[in-house]
Amino acid sequence: MPIPILQTWFAKKHSAAPPIKDRSQLRVGIPKVLNIWSTHQFWVGFLKALGISPENIIFSSDTSEEQGREFGKGRGTVDCCYPVKCMSGHYGELIFGQKKKINILLSPMIHSLPSILHGHVVDTVTCTRVMAGPENIKAGFMKENDVFVENGIVYASPFVSLGDRQLVSGQLYTSLKDILNLDPDETERAVQAGYQALENFTTRARQRSREILAWCAQNQKPCILVLARPYHMDTGIGHEIEAELQAHGYPILWLQYLPGDADLMNWLFAEDMRKGRIKTPFDISDVWTSSYSSNTNEIMWGAKVAARCPWITCVIRLSSYECGMDQPTYTPTQKIVEATGTLFFKFGDLDSTKPAGSIKIRVETIVHYLAKYSGSIIGRKLSWLSADCPLPRTSRERTPTRAMADEARAAEPKQLVVLH
Amino acid sequence: MSNKALFQIQPLLIDPCPTQPCAAPEATVNEAGGMVCGIDVGSTTCKYVLASSDGEVLAQAYERHNTKQAEKVLEFLARLESEYGLTPERDRIFFTGSGAGIIAPLVGGKVIQEVVAVAAAVEKLHPSVHFVSEIGGEDMKTIFFHGNGPSKSKQVLMQSACSGGTGTFIEKTARKLEIPPEQLSRMKYSGYTLHKISSKCGIFAEADANTLLKAGVSVEEIIASLFEAVVYQNLATLTRGNTPSPDILLLGGPNLFFIGLQEAWRHHLVRLWQERKITLPGDADPASLIRVPENALYYAAQGCIEIARREPNLVGVYQGAGQLRWWIEEGQHEEKKKLGRGGLWKDREELESFKARYGGNGHGSKNGNGHRSSPTAPSVEEAGNLGPVGVGCDFGSTTAKAVCLSPQKDLLFSCYALSKGNPIEDAKALFRQIRGAVGNGEILGLAITGYGKDLLKNILGADCPVVETIAHATAGLHFFPDADCICDVGGVDVKIMILNNGAVTDFRLNSQCSSGNGAFLQGVAERFNIPMNEMADGAFRAQAMPQLSMGCGVFLQSDIVNQQRKGWQADEILAGLCAILPLNVWIYAGGLNNLQQVGKKYILQGGTHRNLAVVKTQVDFILSKIPEAEVVVHPYSGEAGAIGAAMVALEWAEKGGRTAFRGFDAIEKLSYKTATSIDTVCHWCPVNCQRSFIDVELAEGSGREWSKVPLAKGWERVIVNNSCPKGLVEDLNEMKVIKAGIEKTKNAYPNIADMVRKEAFRRAAN
Repeated sequence: MPIPILQTWFAKKHSAAPPIKDRSQLRVGIPKVLNIWSTHQFWVGFLKALGISPENIIFSSDTSEEQGREFGKGRGTVDCCYPVKCMSGHYGELIFGQKKKINILLSPMIHSLPSILHGHVVDTVTCTRVMAGPENIKAGFMKENDVFVENGIVYASPFVSLGDRQLVSGQLYTSLKDILNLDPDETERAVQAGYQALENFTTRARQRSREILAWCAQNQKPCILVLARPYHMDTGIGHEIEAELQAHGYPILWLQYLPGDADLMNWLFAEDMRKGRIKTPFDISDVWTSSYSSNTNEIMWGAKVAARCPWITCVIRLSSYECGMDQPTYTPTQKIVEATGTLFFKFGDLDSTKPAGSIKIRVETIVHYLAKYSGSIIGRKLSWLSADCPLPRTSRERTPTRAMADEARAAEPKQLVVLH
Repeated sequence: MSNKALFQIQPLLIDPCPTQPCAAPEATVNEAGGMVCGIDVGSTTCKYVLASSDGEVLAQAYERHNTKQAEKVLEFLARLESEYGLTPERDRIFFTGSGAGIIAPLVGGKVIQEVVAVAAAVEKLHPSVHFVSEIGGEDMKTIFFHGNGPSKSKQVLMQSACSGGTGTFIEKTARKLEIPPEQLSRMKYSGYTLHKISSKCGIFAEADANTLLKAGVSVEEIIASLFEAVVYQNLATLTRGNTPSPDILLLGGPNLFFIGLQEAWRHHLVRLWQERKITLPGDADPASLIRVPENALYYAAQGCIEIARREPNLVGVYQGAGQLRWWIEEGQHEEKKKLGRGGLWKDREELESFKARYGGNGHGSKNGNGHRSSPTAPSVEEAGNLGPVGVGCDFGSTTAKAVCLSPQKDLLFSCYALSKGNPIEDAKALFRQIRGAVGNGEILGLAITGYGKDLLKNILGADCPVVETIAHATAGLHFFPDADCICDVGGVDVKIMILNNGAVTDFRLNSQCSSGNGAFLQGVAERFNIPMNEMADGAFRAQAMPQLSMGCGVFLQSDIVNQQRKGWQADEILAGLCAILPLNVWIYAGGLNNLQQVGKKYILQGGTHRNLAVVKTQVDFILSKIPEAEVVVHPYSGEAGAIGAAMVALEWAEKGGRTAFRGFDAIEKLSYKTATSIDTVCHWCPVNCQRSFIDVELAEGSGREWSKVPLAKGWERVIVNNSCPKGLVEDLNEMKVIKAGIEKTKNAYPNIADMVRKEAFRRAAN
């Protein structure tokens, strides 16, 4: 039975009356993989602005071995990058695992990313293997039979340079106009809405990180920074290693959402700027000159922040098996972080299986050192910075969540660093 | 399964779909008229097919070679010459299989890659087949044929590096379960409850099977689960985006002999076809499209004949068996010396200087550190009257060890107890000995490490539970403050701790693969009846040794048999094993290809490093990678964990800690009750371990009112006989209590990733 979508869907409407672009019944599935982990709300905002009902935007679940076994078995491709390889499970789940079928499988090929470092680095492009991942995985579903067609699903994989705002409307219009019956103006409006939704979320997340740091400063307590790629937040890829440390009573920050507030950044990097090593707090040219890759750039920047920020006493580095992008960053990030005596622990070669036994022992080891050295690390790093710390410092001991609520109420509006 | 079982291959006649055109180019029939022989020299069996020049099969047979590949081929050739008139200089001979490379040139034969050979036979005999699985003793292969007619193409995938998914994988476990081959071949797959068995490694599968057996799972269910694991492994690793579509051919010994394996294939493939909506020809019964020809074993050999018939008639002309006979009787032994490496040492002088530096490891000073004097063991007079001490205990899986250190961190006393499976009794045995040594001396602090640290902390009144890595690093850094790496090779596990600025920054625990551990070395020594303490001397006696293959322990076993057959003696094989141990430890198990990254100073410890031959190969290996490296053996190789724990206890006491140690009397009087019943069975996974609960009376014990086996306040529970860490959690009720606690902590200490997971994919308005 033909499913009335896309051209046929709209064709009917065309013949009757002026186009009423009612897309509310279209169901769009998005595999929750790779850089969707940092551009999530862009896609939600974009699709919602085009009239797709919120309940009809479906993200696949977190990666799991079961998902791969049930939905991706035998469709795998030759790729040693697990975050790419696991996509076949996500595709399969969206195609076969939905009670109410989807009409469109949207798996963008994201060529570049918005970044807090935009303008301070050479470029913010993505890993080529990650960008082309959708093409690679699609093949497993089209090699013999077109599984998408068989299931009445249109496969949409727009090539999009999210780091280059001016190009985005044109790119999405070109690749989606037939699938969604778009016109250029509404595409531009939807792209604007997408960026706004993403910025709203990112701002809130950065504010949350600032609240955590404020609590740490007030109570002279340590926190942990995770240096990883966005998709390591996927519980099936990062294996929730940081959550095991959190369960020992340490707040966890991720580099993707470090607060970029001018007051805080200027305080941390004042000395570097005074000596002319860097021009702005977001300048990483002192440690990373080939600053083309967005996630790599941010990892290097995160390492610099961690080395300076007194309450980040420990960095957890996560990296997937055979990651060619991460390879050249291992030594520099470790050296940067350890230069100020900040603890650095790497969990490398992550793959589909969680090595639970060794992770447990390593987490207990890390907790031992955190308890033993955090106090002196905080003191030492504070002694290198000026006394006018923008975060309020009192000795009142409160629970972080209560402290954060108070802090949020009391905080004056901060100048946020503009991303674009 | 006798060699008399001859099957006539009847080309084309047996194929049910003769309408499909045959894609294979028609063989250019050799006009010379000589016979053509195909011999498949596999990892467990040899097969031959003898055919006339026009391809008619005249004779065929297969026999197990028991690792004597060349001898079996010689026997075959003698038989073919005398019974079927195979004639040198006239007839031709083509070889395939893992052993073909050495043998073929000796008799003038040509080598054909085995998958190419199988594909040639299948194309000729079954043009409608689209997928072939050939499972061998130590490898697995799949061939996909795409398209039909002249555009037909094939894609070949093969795996031979690891035992997962091969015949050995099944047979090894079946041997352990004492199932005779005849019975194994009749065992079924359908209708049994399946259990999770590691499909990746034969040694782990064996361990899984053992656990299942202990838990009372029937042998039939275990074997059915093994068949499941093999099919899963083949489909998961050797399909690469292709769907095995009908018709399907299953080849190779395991596929032919194990009915259960055939059933497992049928089950999975038919389900896969339904899922992927593969249209089946006509109204054929799907299972009938998966066929196992009764001559499934001979396809590779038959393929050789097909290929031979397309080759010019000067290729592969049989030169007689003389050279092969010479090679078996003399050549291979000469080659043994050429191929094998020298012994574990270059010359006597080098060995002596090594022994002078490392020879007395243990309680002596010769631990490779040369200039550092090691603490001495307590004299008899001192024992029983030690001054104030810090006590460290290491509760391992097989033994419990304890040491007493003076406040100056000198080792005053050490003792151990073999684990009896009840940690309370183990602790009592240990503390009785400590009491004997300490007498009325003061205990400054008590720290425990090893698996027992969480179980026994409250019960003994330990001041510090110390994670293994910290215990080992503390002990290592005390003796060698500039160490960069600690390599601990124990009986069953390999641990590598990488140190940086005095902290353990990386930790490798081998858990995916059994290669490289001490138990394997011990197993081989036992097979040769060599006591462990004489093993190093034996290995040092060897003037030469075979080059064994790194990696999979399952294949290493057959490699050893192979080397033995070539005439290598026990001492030489042990030397060879010691020589590859570092590769297995660092590269295969530790995943550390670049030791330069790790550092310059290495501490070796753990029971396996009591073997001086292993120390020698480790030192040589590390120096070959980093010429300026310094390698030392921990002076208390086996007790390092307990010593490190005691040091942590002393540091804690120095900072003003007042010990909570219960005292020797209290530990001696600990009263407990043990419960083993249906209510103590673990339900976290289908293995259903029969655990025991040991309930200890402790004034401050919090009890477990919510438990199926309720425990009043004033009691503390210790769970034992679980086979994995999950079993330490009693049941869902306890999980809820634990989770609630974790959630409370997590709510108080936020994680930005939680926010992303919860809010970033939200569709409703934020």
